[in-house]
Amino acid sequence: METHENKYTILGKRVPRVDARLKVQGRAKYAADYEMPGMLWGKIKRAPYAHARILSIDTSKAEKLPGVRGVVVGEDFGGFKWGWQGHTRDETPLAVDKVRYLYEGVAAVAAIDKDIAEEACDLIDIEYEELPGVFDPFEAMEEGAPLVHENKPRNILVEYHWDFGNVDKAFDESYLVKEELFQTPRMAKGYIEPPSALAWWEHDTLHYLGSKGSPYMLWRIFGRAFNLPLSKVRVITPVIGCDFGGTKNDGHALDFAAILLAKKTGRPVKIVYTQWEELTTCLRRHPMWMRTKIGLTRDGIIKGIYTNVVADGGAYARMSPVSMYLTNGFVTLPYKFDNFRTDSWNIYTNNPMSAAMRGHGMYHTRYAIDCLLDMMARELGIDPVEIRLKNCLDDIKAGETYYTINELRVASCGVKECLTQSRDLFGWDDYHKNTKKVDGHMAKGAGVSCTGYLSGARLTGHNSCSALVRINEDGSVNVQTGATDVGMGSDTTMCMIAAEVLGIHMSDVEIKRVDTSYSYPDPGSYGSRVTIYAGEATARAAEDAKKQILEAAAKEMGLFPEELDIKDRKVIMKTDKSKFMPWLQAVRIACYASIGNIIVGRGVSRKGTQGFSPKAFETGVGDVGTNYGFAAQINEVEVDLETGVVKCTEKSSMADDCGFPLNPNTVETQNIGGSLHQGIAPGLYVEFEMDKGSTLNPNFVDYKMPRAYEAPFPKFAHVITHDPFGPYGVKEASEATSCTGGPAVVSAVYDATGVMIKNMPATPEKVWRALKEKKEGKR
Amino acid sequence: MNDRLKDLKFKVNGREVELKINPKMLLLDVLRDELKLTGTRTGCEVSACGACTVNLDGKAVRACSILAIQLNGRDVVTIEGVADGEKLHPVQEAMVNHGAIECGFCTSGMVMSARALLLRNPKPTRDDIKKAIQGNLCADSGYVKYVEAIEMAADVLQEKR
Amino acid sequence: MKSFNYYGPKTVKEAVALLAELNGEGKVICGGQSLLVLMKQNMFTPEHIVDIKGIPELDYLNYGKKEGLRIGALTTHTQLEDSPVVKKEYPVFAEMEDNLAVVQTRNYGTIGGNVCHGDPAADPPAVFIALDAKYKLMGKKGERVVDAEDFYKDLLEVDLRDDEILCEVQVPPMPAHSGVAHDKLMVQKGDMGIVGAAAFVRVNTSTGICEDARIALTNVASVPFRARNSEKMLIGKVINEELLEEAGKLASQEVTPPSDTHGSEEYRRDMARVFLKRVTAKALARAKQAK
Repeated sequence: METHENKYTILGKRVPRVDARLKVQGRAKYAADYEMPGMLWGKIKRAPYAHARILSIDTSKAEKLPGVRGVVVGEDFGGFKWGWQGHTRDETPLAVDKVRYLYEGVAAVAAIDKDIAEEACDLIDIEYEELPGVFDPFEAMEEGAPLVHENKPRNILVEYHWDFGNVDKAFDESYLVKEELFQTPRMAKGYIEPPSALAWWEHDTLHYLGSKGSPYMLWRIFGRAFNLPLSKVRVITPVIGCDFGGTKNDGHALDFAAILLAKKTGRPVKIVYTQWEELTTCLRRHPMWMRTKIGLTRDGIIKGIYTNVVADGGAYARMSPVSMYLTNGFVTLPYKFDNFRTDSWNIYTNNPMSAAMRGHGMYHTRYAIDCLLDMMARELGIDPVEIRLKNCLDDIKAGETYYTINELRVASCGVKECLTQSRDLFGWDDYHKNTKKVDGHMAKGAGVSCTGYLSGARLTGHNSCSALVRINEDGSVNVQTGATDVGMGSDTTMCMIAAEVLGIHMSDVEIKRVDTSYSYPDPGSYGSRVTIYAGEATARAAEDAKKQILEAAAKEMGLFPEELDIKDRKVIMKTDKSKFMPWLQAVRIACYASIGNIIVGRGVSRKGTQGFSPKAFETGVGDVGTNYGFAAQINEVEVDLETGVVKCTEKSSMADDCGFPLNPNTVETQNIGGSLHQGIAPGLYVEFEMDKGSTLNPNFVDYKMPRAYEAPFPKFAHVITHDPFGPYGVKEASEATSCTGGPAVVSAVYDATGVMIKNMPATPEKVWRALKEKKEGKR
Repeated sequence: MNDRLKDLKFKVNGREVELKINPKMLLLDVLRDELKLTGTRTGCEVSACGACTVNLDGKAVRACSILAIQLNGRDVVTIEGVADGEKLHPVQEAMVNHGAIECGFCTSGMVMSARALLLRNPKPTRDDIKKAIQGNLCADSGYVKYVEAIEMAADVLQEKR
Repeated sequence: MKSFNYYGPKTVKEAVALLAELNGEGKVICGGQSLLVLMKQNMFTPEHIVDIKGIPELDYLNYGKKEGLRIGALTTHTQLEDSPVVKKEYPVFAEMEDNLAVVQTRNYGTIGGNVCHGDPAADPPAVFIALDAKYKLMGKKGERVVDAEDFYKDLLEVDLRDDEILCEVQVPPMPAHSGVAHDKLMVQKGDMGIVGAAAFVRVNTSTGICEDARIALTNVASVPFRARNSEKMLIGKVINEELLEEAGKLASQEVTPPSDTHGSEEYRRDMARVFLKRVTAKALARAKQAK
């Protein structure tokens, strides 16, 4: 691990997470761990069809079952619809007239225990008229195909057609032009903690406790759904077991059902999804079909890229408009080129909904472009790392910015160094010269990928984050912000920032879970925005609080506040450190002045206020990120040429440019751990297999996720670029690397076998078949 | 239907526990719902994720895959029983300091698998460690830091001998 | 999970009597590592559960040079994996257990439970068949000993009468100059094999001729598949690569593998060929080394 210059006391150090001790003792409480007296258990009744009209619902038998206290159906929500944008509000909490995906919720029961709730669900009689469904986006787009939503002709949710430069001319002038179809699989978010919700009403206020990474999103949605002013909506987040942009970052049937059942019964209602419910009905990553075309000069320089993308958005819109933007929006990073065109469609089908997932959007085209580039590099006889170094953006000089052809503003870019570091840590050149690639029926190979990823996403609407820093009279400090730690460590980072600015110790600072009654709005944990926005807000709040302390101390010390600073729990005179006052004394003076003072610092993030207009989705022009993180990754695989089984070996390298790693431990664990696995998983084994809307492998036995034996142990390097637009130079960490894993692995298989798997994952049978076809092709 | 409750008397974290339970109750249900020990977690229904791992007579087992009624007279240790008051077990200390813990949902299970490993094999190789946590899925931290933390803990325990 | 009537007999006699009384409605549970997964998802809802985990007389693992290995039904996978005498005399079991599920399952799941579950993808039945093992059953009418191979009737269906439980697995001592091996096609270590194979080979070390071969394949049919015709190809000959390829090809034509999310029928057929070859070759190599 690289050491780097460090002007801070706490920032940049390997600080243990503030919640790690609780978690390691099993004392952290997740949503499913909470109980309330008089609590009822809820269960969702689900439709057995992927597409059907609801003709009638009879809940009488269920209501009569002893132990049942309440039943609700779709109509009970009063026509409420929700969605990410005004014009995409197409979803109801429970199905009302139609069900549009298999196992969509149609009713919910609250009972005194789980078994009775389940039994009651079976007693709800529902008459359906099954309708023909569409399960393939290409079929769904055809004229005459069944419509998932009557007001969406050809089942098109969004389509974007962008055109920058002159792609046709670029291809005409290219030495080598190649076009291939790549396909990404349906992916589960993969968190182990299933969604869980506990709701109750008290004093006309809705109380909701659930595993939500963006509580304020739900705060607004619940306000609208239940006709409440925001002041009477309380969303509380417990410790959350990951999110990755999925259902726990958005709403689902259990949330609304628990709330309405709680209202109806007058008792708290808890609903915990099974992992089966999560894997069959909750949000998954889009599968996308990408016809990708690249034009290269003889030297391997990219002249132009064209992508034609069709995505299966599933039954409801959710975040698909954003997903489609992000898929092509930063194709223009990390390589420099002036000609780019895309035609993309997001299509409704009767499959479960697709939505955001870590590496949102970029993940798809990164696979297509990087793998196609590798195929072309081989044809031209250029090394894959070399061809990337030739095309990558250079680092930006301090004070300058670079604009891509679609006007992404880049002020720091360490991708070239990420590549060279990965290359050197792996021993790439030596590897390809000296490694015996084939040995009996085993083959080895290595592949590389690099990318940029947006950081500090700024969408329309309310984008700002606020923080309060409250200094208590005993010197302890509370940090309050609406930013939610879903496991990525933002709580720790906010404490680090507050402690750094205030010049005190980590042990002095406390942060509590988000509670919308007491903390302040923040858009949510998505788009790698939390450190950037909440970090800025927290720093400002800490500065504000510090100012108040210094003012009080200055008065007492007979100095001007500007002459003072706080370091190591001492208010010191900058020019004469022998003149100081202990932190506690300064705090006491500040708090007890006059009849008593409340010392609260307020901070609001100011960056990204321009926001990003959805109109930009139509042209592709505009900057959705505050800044851009970069990464590169190399993986070695072993392929059994007889069985097609692909394994990642331990040998791997990775370098991440996150601007400045505020907590290197966190950055490393994220990158070499979860992100690495979420990256390689779709390359190797992860895929929801579907049959007419039914998920065939909705469990962790048949849907495989990487385990300890399959984990690469990458050599890792931090690349420091100090971005001017992030607080302390910070950019995102680990979303870039969740995009590079798949292509690195697939390219490694290509290197080992000459076979390029264009429809991830490279399952044994796929590789076996491809090897067979290659052999037969040779004959 | 003979719903008669059956007697269950066993040790949990060193304490004798006596209950009358429906025989269909899994150990996981008894721990979480009856004894309110929520540190052992429910992650899946197919005995795959390992978030419910506890130690039975010092061995790692899945609480979700054992009928509690079979444990009369047995000794169960859960995550709540690993630390010695405020003093963390070396495995726990290493995981905290090495940055292995992110969302923490799999952590209870990881600690229990590691504890069981070190009880029977104080000098594990990296391969032994991978084998011990093979049944614990982690989507957030991944495995590198957990494996390294367990290696560190093994060293600490060796030094203490 | 639906509720059930629970019985916890303390002796084999008690268990058998209970099962007889329940007249086919009683389901035996031991470690529950296979059964509970099904019951939790309500894929299997027995009305009566007869729990034999608490029967001490079934909990043993003994070896004698003459009788061979006697595995009591309650022996856990871990006990079989870790036993020093088993490691010495039948190293194939440690090899098999290393790839069998994960440690949590092995610590509580039993050999008896695995063997009686009747999953054609399970590893122990194939290894027992290769080793020419027998199962000792106990019922109302008394003791019954069956060949492991004959025990498997159909998918999840075994030759256990309503009032019978499996008491022990009897593995004969290894003949001289013989070797056994097991392997399976896994994506992740510990997976149920997409296909799998267990092979026993005995050679004449002076002539190099294979004198006996027993090969069982997993997950290629509704029961473990005994590749008799492939064995016949090998017995009496010096096994080489070409012969193995022929034997493998034959098996790939004879098996009736399922098609599912892990592999198509076509793929499994070819993998049956690959694994028959690999595992038989391993067993042969061990046989040549063995005393």
